[in-house]
Amino acid sequence: MSRRTALAGAVAITALLLQVTVIDRLHLPAGRPDLALVCVVAFALVGGPTYGAVLGFGVGFLADIMPPADHTIGLLALAYAVVGYLAGLVEDVEERSVVTTVLMVGLASAVAVVVFAMIGALLGNAHISLSAVAHSLAATVIYDVVLAPFVVPLVSGAVRHAEPAG
Amino acid sequence: MRDSRRARLVLALLLLTAFTLITLDFRSGGGGPFRTVGNTVFGPIERAVTAVTRPIGSFFASLGHLNSYKSDNAKLRAQNRKLLEELRTSDANRAHLLSLERLDHLAGQAQFRIVAARVVAIGNALDFEWTATIDAGSNDGVRRNQTVINGDGLVGKTLAVGPTTSTIRLGADPEFTAGARLAGTQESGFVDGGGHNPMTFTMLNTRAPLNVGDRLVTAGDTDNHDRPFVPEVPIGRITRVLPTPGQLYRKAVVAPFVDFTSIDIVGVVVAAPRTVPRDSLLPPSPSPTPTPGPGGTGGTGGTGQQSPPPSPGTTSGRRSTSPSPSRTP
Repeated sequence: MSRRTALAGAVAITALLLQVTVIDRLHLPAGRPDLALVCVVAFALVGGPTYGAVLGFGVGFLADIMPPADHTIGLLALAYAVVGYLAGLVEDVEERSVVTTVLMVGLASAVAVVVFAMIGALLGNAHISLSAVAHSLAATVIYDVVLAPFVVPLVSGAVRHAEPAG
Repeated sequence: MRDSRRARLVLALLLLTAFTLITLDFRSGGGGPFRTVGNTVFGPIERAVTAVTRPIGSFFASLGHLNSYKSDNAKLRAQNRKLLEELRTSDANRAHLLSLERLDHLAGQAQFRIVAARVVAIGNALDFEWTATIDAGSNDGVRRNQTVINGDGLVGKTLAVGPTTSTIRLGADPEFTAGARLAGTQESGFVDGGGHNPMTFTMLNTRAPLNVGDRLVTAGDTDNHDRPFVPEVPIGRITRVLPTPGQLYRKAVVAPFVDFTSIDIVGVVVAAPRTVPRDSLLPPSPSPTPTPGPGGTGGTGGTGQQSPPPSPGTTSGRRSTSPSPSRTP
């Protein structure tokens, strides 16, 4: 468990840093993938709901305080914790097809955006408007789904490698 | 599917913690200790990562030097010339140098004291934010709420400031707002970032003219002359006037001079003179804006003391000098 936690931490921090220094700098058309979110889902699929929720909270909190962030601290921690928990629920499906995985990532992205937007709207965050939410939903879900077939097998493979007993 | 009471308990505890964090940060107005920790810890790491991921390495070292100067523009200019000679080789370097020179030119014209910096990270939490990290912080003299510019005009303002990095809010951010003024007529209002939607200008005087092609500059603040926005920084050009019948304001779509998707070299204005000559920083207009006629909207006050001297004698006869008017067939 501890090796997996260390692995998850390293992967998550790398993902967060790559997000702000590389992915977001690319200024992809219409939006961007959320690499850290996809990683949280990937680890939660292996580790279960408790693991997913705790990891999601930790990664979200780091994303909240990592410099260019400007929203209320705790918003992403909340959103990612929910996502990690939900993804962990489908953990022990034996024959998890690529389609299921991709659907899970898409669903998780949508949940994250909605949770973030709802709590943000309650706080009077000017970033949150109906059109912004619709835009973010479409862009984040599509980009994350595109990223999922690459990230999820990588993470599963790394976890299996770290814990051969599995 | 597998669920357990323990997992649900853990989730509930985490959500409670998250709500507590949100409440605490919301109450502190965004300047809490976690933000400071994040800036101090992750700022330098982001700088390091970007130094690797950005292809040009050598230019960075030179710019690091530039940062530490934070002195007057003459020094920057001298450094520029030296760099220009050193780095004639690569196109990318030349592009960077060009933007540094343009920044220097703008700041020099306005007598702004700037700290030059580069963007090391872009923030876009779940596609809702338009922020950036730059590689200059409190050690370089950057403070909260200072104007950030580049060679084209207004980029944004500083938010949280760490020792060696700072977060800036870009003009495209939906929470971005700045006092603005129309060049020429001096009508005031404010610009708002629109996120994925375009930037808008809201003019407070419904009777004043507002036309496509009019240019906007920052209005500055009369109380604090350099915070958050120094005056006269070019913002953008009006591209469409929106219909606002019956409203107490007029609204228009603005095309910003700065391309927020490709900002790299920026300058944080750390000191500005009390006054900057009106409209002195605007880029040369492709079509010269017509000077408002003396019989326009300016005569409501009646004193005539504060109106700018438009030298009415020269502009009044502009129709008579034109060749014969079009004839009806």
